[in-house]
Amino acid sequence: MSATIEQIREAIGRTREARERVWQHRTTDAVITALAQAAKNWLDPKSPWRKRAVEQATAPTGFSEAMVNEAIDLTFGAITYESLGELLDRELGNRRVLDEFCLRGRAQTRAMGPRLIAHFLAGNVPAPGIVSMCCGWLLRSANLVKVSTHDPVFPTLFLESVREVDAELADCVATLDWPRGELALTQTAVGDADAVIAYGDDHTVSALRQLAPAAAKFLGYGHKISFAVVAKEAMTEENLPQLAQAAAFDASVYDQQGCLSPHVFYVEERGQLGPRKFAAALADAMAAYQARVPRGQLSVEEAAEVVKFRTGYEFAAASDRRIGVWASPSGTDYAVIYDDSPAFVASCLNRIVFVKPTDGYKRVLDAIQKFASSISTVGIAPMNERALAFANDLARMGVHRVCPIGQMQRPPLTWHHDGRPNLADLVTWTDLG
Amino acid sequence: MDQTALDLQQRILAVIARGVAQATTDEEFDGLAREVFVFQYERCAPYRAYCDRLKLTPQTVTHWKQIPAVPTSAFKSFTLTCFPAEEAVAEFHTSGTTREKAGKHYLRTLDLYEAAIRPNFAAYLVPDDARLPMMVLMPSPQEAPHSSLSHMMGVVTREFGTENSEFYVEDGLLHVERVVRDLSEAQLAHRPVFLLGTAFAFVHLLDHLTRQGLKFEVAEGSRVMETGGFKGRSREMPKAELYGLIERLIGVPKARIVNEYGMTELSTQFYDDSLRVNHQTDRKAAPPWARVVIIDPNTGRESAEMGRGLVRVYDLANMWSILCVQTEDLGVRRDPERIDDHKRDARRTSGREGATTASRDACPTGEKARADGFEVVGRAAGAEVRGCSLTAEDLQLE
Repeated sequence: MSATIEQIREAIGRTREARERVWQHRTTDAVITALAQAAKNWLDPKSPWRKRAVEQATAPTGFSEAMVNEAIDLTFGAITYESLGELLDRELGNRRVLDEFCLRGRAQTRAMGPRLIAHFLAGNVPAPGIVSMCCGWLLRSANLVKVSTHDPVFPTLFLESVREVDAELADCVATLDWPRGELALTQTAVGDADAVIAYGDDHTVSALRQLAPAAAKFLGYGHKISFAVVAKEAMTEENLPQLAQAAAFDASVYDQQGCLSPHVFYVEERGQLGPRKFAAALADAMAAYQARVPRGQLSVEEAAEVVKFRTGYEFAAASDRRIGVWASPSGTDYAVIYDDSPAFVASCLNRIVFVKPTDGYKRVLDAIQKFASSISTVGIAPMNERALAFANDLARMGVHRVCPIGQMQRPPLTWHHDGRPNLADLVTWTDLG
Repeated sequence: MDQTALDLQQRILAVIARGVAQATTDEEFDGLAREVFVFQYERCAPYRAYCDRLKLTPQTVTHWKQIPAVPTSAFKSFTLTCFPAEEAVAEFHTSGTTREKAGKHYLRTLDLYEAAIRPNFAAYLVPDDARLPMMVLMPSPQEAPHSSLSHMMGVVTREFGTENSEFYVEDGLLHVERVVRDLSEAQLAHRPVFLLGTAFAFVHLLDHLTRQGLKFEVAEGSRVMETGGFKGRSREMPKAELYGLIERLIGVPKARIVNEYGMTELSTQFYDDSLRVNHQTDRKAAPPWARVVIIDPNTGRESAEMGRGLVRVYDLANMWSILCVQTEDLGVRRDPERIDDHKRDARRTSGREGATTASRDACPTGEKARADGFEVVGRAAGAEVRGCSLTAEDLQLE
């Protein structure tokens, strides 16, 4: 149900008041402890939060129950006392700078979070929104969270789970929803904000940037694309099953709809095993993952896109030796498309992944140069000297994250999301002396 | 052309020659379709390879619905013919976007292609046998030799138009002033008009009329054939809005605007039933020599009764290329409407001759055969993005 202007105003007032109280009575350590406890409470297989999320989130996200469970593990498994503390220490130098003046170099300094953060969440992948809320709590800001139509469940339930641990802290956050087109509501939400965090497609993010007050800090996270490279060293008989399983996990999680989901696996030729072997093994591993974590139901439009995509390649595969398709025997569950053209191809999503042979890292760089700024994550196997040189080239091109295959969907809490810090961009500093 | 092929072609031509009212039974269609399938399996290598891959071959296929469908995208990368392509008498190309490779449909003969145009066009566009000068908002076949639509317009202007029929697109430009001038003349002379064009050409014309503050009230008996497909060349407009504007600015009532559904890869077109039932309908029926099946993309099987799915066309007139084409359009099955319900409205809204036609023709003797009516409801593209990944459409690789 859409929030009204009055409800948004009320939520802003309420969270601001709560913030004043919390600000005086909670240390950063207490906040970390509470958030870590709330996150931990989700992880138990019998957790009531898990049960409620599975019941409520399948419809809006489009994920299967097993996928929602996987999302819970990925999202809340990353939020621990240690990781939250590390995030603060890394980005602010020392977690206590949010509580008191701390000596830094020769001067003392302390950090203040924004008074009010407006979060605009998007999409059905819960992790970014949950992390965004955690950041708001850590900075002891008042937080107005506009949830996504595709996932109103996770933020709201997480808020409730924090309330169970620390009600006063929970009061600093309000989750609301209203249609994107309701400009007056969005204006009300951002009008008083000291910081705006926006997720969504480029259009949404730039529209919010326009609406945000000039003085407000603005962090925008647009849609991105990811891919992976398997170097020849990894293509051994011994290594392949494990590698394929890791790759299948990266490609299948969130039904490939996330910005960390790989669309293409470039596989280097001249390994002990060839790229086609990887494609076949990947398909087997995706079948196994499908059996454990089925892909969600697709709308007719989505399924039609998958069919259009897949049958085109299947027709070609019948007589063109450069193309191969390993697909789920029935329905549209998954497909691995082998295509020996080096050009990058964006998938139609929903577990349709490309395998392309490559001459080596240099060729991969050529293929992705044109859209390097749209890349989120590049998965690599194995992580060795050559991979390091490749990572350096990617960094120069503006790619912000390189990680081992199997870890693409598990960015640590401390990662530089789209190349930026999470907290450091939001705080202001007061120096003493 | 060998005797087997010639014989098969003759029998398909005979079905077409019977006209749209003479339905084919499932048995009759099945017999012809499977013969065509065997013919194509034997002569079209990429198709045979695909059938073998699916293990759906002349040995295993026992009903026409099992015949493997070829995705339209395959026409872009393969030469799908049952004869040496260099012997083609015509070659039609898909327009698509500039980034895409064009799909190509090679024609062995124009006989089947043109034969399939006539009875269908007659039944759905001129059920009253009217002969009107056609105003075609498209390039002429001479100007666009690779456009199947222009070719078809060449055939229908010759067969159903008058010597005053005209093409208004030259050098890629729609000459709106000329359209306006000819519309004015027709209006002054109380002469009905017959406008034919793509949706985007109509949008262009209507934008011009709006800008100039022009409005026509063309004579009764006027009609419009509009064919979908904007392909990024004009602003997109929902069908209801487009028809509303045509009615308001040109004066052709919605019930007399007929949507044509056709594609380069096919030889047969499908039309809204509006002129036959005398009210605006989105329902189309396959003529006796074709079948349309709606496929649930989630299962690959035929969609449930009212379920949306991919439009799959079986077109006997495509004997020399591919019988069964899997389109990228979404459709839904629509059973025939009961003409009786609309008789009263029909008489009131659109004149005597239409109502007579409706009661004569559309009260189906072959109701069963026309049960595979359908409506096109969208495209297999642009599904709502639920996650945060970029998609092919967002990613500009050039």
